[in-house]
Amino acid sequence: MAPKFRIKVFQISSFIKNFTIVSIVTLSFLLVFFSKSDLYLINGLKNISSSVIIPITRIISLPINTLSNFVDEYKQFRSLKFENKILQEEIIRLKKWQTLAIQNSRENRVLKKLLNATDNNLTLVKTASLINRNDTIYTKLINLNAGHNDKIKKNMSAINERGLVGKVIDTTSNNSRVILLTDPNLSISVKSISDGIFSLLTGNGDGKYLVSSFVKENKMPRLGDIVVTSGTAQIFPVDLLVGKVAKVEKNRFFVLPFVDFENIDYLQIVTSK
Amino acid sequence: MELSKFLNPSIKLNIILIISFSISVNSFVLFPNVNNAFYILFHLTFIYLIFYHYHFYLYILAFIYGILFDILLLNNIGIHLIAFLSLLILYFVIRKFLTRLSSYQIIFIYFVTLIILLLIEQILANFTNGYKFSLLTFFNFFIISLIIFIPTVFLFSKLDK
Repeated sequence: MAPKFRIKVFQISSFIKNFTIVSIVTLSFLLVFFSKSDLYLINGLKNISSSVIIPITRIISLPINTLSNFVDEYKQFRSLKFENKILQEEIIRLKKWQTLAIQNSRENRVLKKLLNATDNNLTLVKTASLINRNDTIYTKLINLNAGHNDKIKKNMSAINERGLVGKVIDTTSNNSRVILLTDPNLSISVKSISDGIFSLLTGNGDGKYLVSSFVKENKMPRLGDIVVTSGTAQIFPVDLLVGKVAKVEKNRFFVLPFVDFENIDYLQIVTSK
Repeated sequence: MELSKFLNPSIKLNIILIISFSISVNSFVLFPNVNNAFYILFHLTFIYLIFYHYHFYLYILAFIYGILFDILLLNNIGIHLIAFLSLLILYFVIRKFLTRLSSYQIIFIYFVTLIILLLIEQILANFTNGYKFSLLTFFNFFIISLIIFIPTVFLFSKLDK
């Protein structure tokens, strides 16, 4: 009886193995096929990876993270004396500018009252801090410690003190993922401040520059022009600082973003009023 | 003694898989090459598991890690899942041929498989996700692979006794 029993078990397990392999392969192709859709399963998988897998991977990579922070702090400590000197000089310079700015601000307020203009076109939804980043291999994504419990929704804009950082692409209850401007899959509609030239910018893939993918009427902006969001695509609020034109070619131009993407700690999630 | 019995080579290799996966999906601004090195180590470990510890559970591993890599590194399911599963299926087809080869030939095929896998992933990322194929990035991967390959194989052979 024993050999017969063994043969039967072997047959069942082999069937289960084959069935599982075929199921995995089929499911994989279905997932690949529907991955860009808004299916519940795909969103569920993305939510699990943001809210469960990322915290686990952070714990496992804690030693390297600690080492990285230690090296960073050591570097900062070494340059402290030099930075202090620069900052002292900058304080003197900024004090002069402050006096000018206060004067301008008063004038601005008076002129706005005359024009009946509103003060700001942005609504601050939440200030969130960065919990981890996935911007070395392939994509340029960062994860924040605030989600739809904090009223953060998909497609909201992420900014910091220097300008536009990116766009929220996924939210879970307590986390959200932001795609950075430097990602080749994010397009932003912008205009140059001096000439009002409208164009579309995408990440160049090098993580540093943004490159124009479309320029309205093929008019190129001038070198050094400041570029802001145009607000025409209805995704980003209007007039958010993006960057400076750094290189102009025959059919395209490159923009150096104002934001230092390597030093992001806190972000503000904003939306248009 | 009990722990060393429990930690058989396959489990040790799976621990390396988990660690290398975790480090490769957490970017360190100061050490970007650490991410790349652990990303390559993950691929090396996975190929090693396929070559020397082929088992049905590897399909489930390929499925899980493929999806997680795709979501965390690309935000779209596709390239890693396809690459890992294709590699498993390919190995299943040609494994009889591999058993006839000498250890040096297998080591050579092991390295070539790693490079081809990394290359295919970059090409697929270019076609499906719009990430430009960068020769510089691939060259960086190739150099890191060259540096870590021999020590990794040595480590794995020690783990495998």
